[in-house]
Amino acid sequence: MNNEELWKTALGEIELSISKANFKTWFKNTSILSYEDNHIIIGVPNGFAKEWLENKYNIYILKSLRNIQENIQSVSCNIITNSKNVPIQNAQPSMDAIVPPQNITLNKKSYFPSFLENNLNQKYTFENFVVGGSNELARAACFAVSQNLGNSYNPLFIYGGVGLGKTHLIQSIGNEIIKRNPALNVKYVSSERFTSNLIDAIKNQKANEFKESYQKIDLLIIDDIQFISGKEKTQEEFFHIFNYLYQLNKQIVLSSDRPPKAIQILEERLRSRFEGGMIADVSMPDHETRVAILRKKALKDKIEISNEAIEFIASNIKHNVRELEGALNRVSVSSQLTNQSIDLTYAKNSLSDIISSGKKKGITYKHILKTVSSFYEVSIDDLIAKNRKKEVVLPRQIAMFLMRQELQFSFPGIGDKLGGRDHTTVIHACEKISSAIEIDEKLKESLEDIKNRIYSVI
Amino acid sequence: MKLTCIQDNLKKSIQACEKVVTKRNTLPILNNLLLEADKNSLKIEATNLEIGIIAKIGAKVEKTGRIAVPAKLISSFFSNLPSGEKISLETDKEENLKIKSGSNKTIIKSNIADDFPLIPLKVKEFILKIPAIFFRMIFSKVSPAIAINEARQELTGFNLILKEEELFWAATDSFRLSEYKLERKNIEVDEAEYMRVAQNGSEIIIPFNVLAEINRIISTDLNMEDNNKINISIEEGQIFFEFNRIKIVSRLINGKYPEYKHIIPNKYETKLICDKITLQNGIKLAGLFASGNSNEIRLKIDSQKKNVFLLASGSETGENSTELKYDVHGPSQEVVFNAKYLLDGVLAVSTKEVMILINNDTSPIAIKEVSGKTKEELNDFIYIVMPIKK
Repeated sequence: MNNEELWKTALGEIELSISKANFKTWFKNTSILSYEDNHIIIGVPNGFAKEWLENKYNIYILKSLRNIQENIQSVSCNIITNSKNVPIQNAQPSMDAIVPPQNITLNKKSYFPSFLENNLNQKYTFENFVVGGSNELARAACFAVSQNLGNSYNPLFIYGGVGLGKTHLIQSIGNEIIKRNPALNVKYVSSERFTSNLIDAIKNQKANEFKESYQKIDLLIIDDIQFISGKEKTQEEFFHIFNYLYQLNKQIVLSSDRPPKAIQILEERLRSRFEGGMIADVSMPDHETRVAILRKKALKDKIEISNEAIEFIASNIKHNVRELEGALNRVSVSSQLTNQSIDLTYAKNSLSDIISSGKKKGITYKHILKTVSSFYEVSIDDLIAKNRKKEVVLPRQIAMFLMRQELQFSFPGIGDKLGGRDHTTVIHACEKISSAIEIDEKLKESLEDIKNRIYSVI
Repeated sequence: MKLTCIQDNLKKSIQACEKVVTKRNTLPILNNLLLEADKNSLKIEATNLEIGIIAKIGAKVEKTGRIAVPAKLISSFFSNLPSGEKISLETDKEENLKIKSGSNKTIIKSNIADDFPLIPLKVKEFILKIPAIFFRMIFSKVSPAIAINEARQELTGFNLILKEEELFWAATDSFRLSEYKLERKNIEVDEAEYMRVAQNGSEIIIPFNVLAEINRIISTDLNMEDNNKINISIEEGQIFFEFNRIKIVSRLINGKYPEYKHIIPNKYETKLICDKITLQNGIKLAGLFASGNSNEIRLKIDSQKKNVFLLASGSETGENSTELKYDVHGPSQEVVFNAKYLLDGVLAVSTKEVMILINNDTSPIAIKEVSGKTKEELNDFIYIVMPIKK
């Protein structure tokens, strides 16, 4: 095992024993500088980290390193400075200190440096996309578009939650087109990139060039279009580009995390255009699809893993394909380090901290009550109190729901914590909230917001 | 913790430290000030993990201890508290800080200090001791050219080069450059350490924020006299400052400062001397009419007609011109500037007259100070600005 792997493994262990904020603050940009005579020197970015790691976290670090290599005796820290870790040639950017102002603002060549590129990632193709009931329609629509550009479904609008394969699908269209006819002009941008390019262009008085460059495109793919909500000027420019391309029968593909109807502050004329073509959704993969995804990835990356282990991962990680693949990666990397084969028990052990209440480390029901009460501006006492005031009912139900979902408390347990309520009350609350978030986008957002707050307090 | 101290001292120290606390913190504990009572002193500490500050004041301590107090709250509390002689602080078991001053009694909910970061302390001796008056001067002359929020991180700090005879302080935002040369003989240095560092061709980049913080503290502290020293010690990746019972540590910026010496011209064709106030007002007026994004104004020197004009015109705003007194050596010139960049340079000059040195309309222009007696240029300070190409 080299130093880098050693440190990575040790960090994995340290991460579990301290809070996320602490971990991020103190262990960011650290590395092992040297490992000689059973003494390890850790490179840290600044003096504060050096003091802290040497005086407060020394024990944690030593313990976790020893778990991997028993003979390690001691650990110390050094501040990394430029002279040490940057190769000589990089340290000499003989760049001029000052330059004439005009050269900077009006350099034509450097203007759209990335424009000629299509920005596609070649690893996304239709061949390696796993099809299941949840994404069949979206995949079929994308494939149809790639076979008959501009004439089958225009625009094509794909939506679905994070990590379910939207980007994979829409990039596959681009890659397929390029494979068949490299001369066609394909452009993939995220809507954030689109906006910032537009702002640059306006700043440099090049808005027309910006528009023209987009009008040359045969296939325009915009990812995460929901981010243009509320940006009026971007929406306006996009509207014109959209219309222009549409009139010429050029293909437009859009993706979003929600349907056009649910994108807030979107101009009506854009919304109606988005809905004018084909709308397809990708939803959460079912169990079989998840198993298939894992099999495919294991095959591709040559990971040997037992069927029970795959079943275990697939049945525990349900909401996000990216997390699913991440879990598989994690198991495979740790099995390589320890030289064990992956069976059910091994997978269970190495994923114990992600699955079940793993990522919720350090969270207690008090955190939840505190966050919910501050989010809705009601006091904790009110949440617990025995009354049914209108303004506390929803916050109380949300608190119950979160305690159930995030902490896996039992129903009677939750009732107990919230002023001795009956477990049926709790069951009702959880059912109510979980069905409400299916239809109420606003509630869903608030809930996400609360969860973020809960996890950012520790 | 239980102690009594002078209210005014405590207030000043808290206000000196509080500014270091930034709003966006990943660690909640960083929103606090640490109060720590030793045998006979009280330390106040704050940090944002880039800068750390420790202020120490005398106190009569009955019981030692430490506590982390919300910074914004306690700072606002002290600025509103009626002034009084003595103030007593005491903590209880539930991490409350009890404050008693005159007729006012307060309990501030505070936090356990265990998680408060350890502020690094210096290991080496002080290498430089700079009088406060010099520090303020360097800061005011160099900082106008600093790059704020720049993508190139190395430009967001002062570049300090230690040479055997001089120390060069410089800042640039890549449009203009400001440099101040401090003679080594004018300040106190640790000979051996200094020579060792200077011979290794040492140069460091000090973040602008920490210098601005020091400048703020020494400018507002009435106890700080002009010849009080600011002690500086430089270590791997960090720099330490100490003055008047205050200790400050900051990280140094990692990176290579761009070479700039070769940009400063060795000789100039045309030399213009003008009264600072007249020039400064002329630029401000012309700036109102300046055209384009780059705020263009023209300086026109005509050696035949013996006149100098500062001109600006904009298609939407109108026109403006100021005639300056003709005090020129050398041929005619016509140069276009960004009004703001030129003004910043002139404002940094502290002599009555300003010298502008020009080669032609495409090479760097220099601004220098002029000695009041000999009318000769002074070479401690130089401000370089690039003209705008036509």
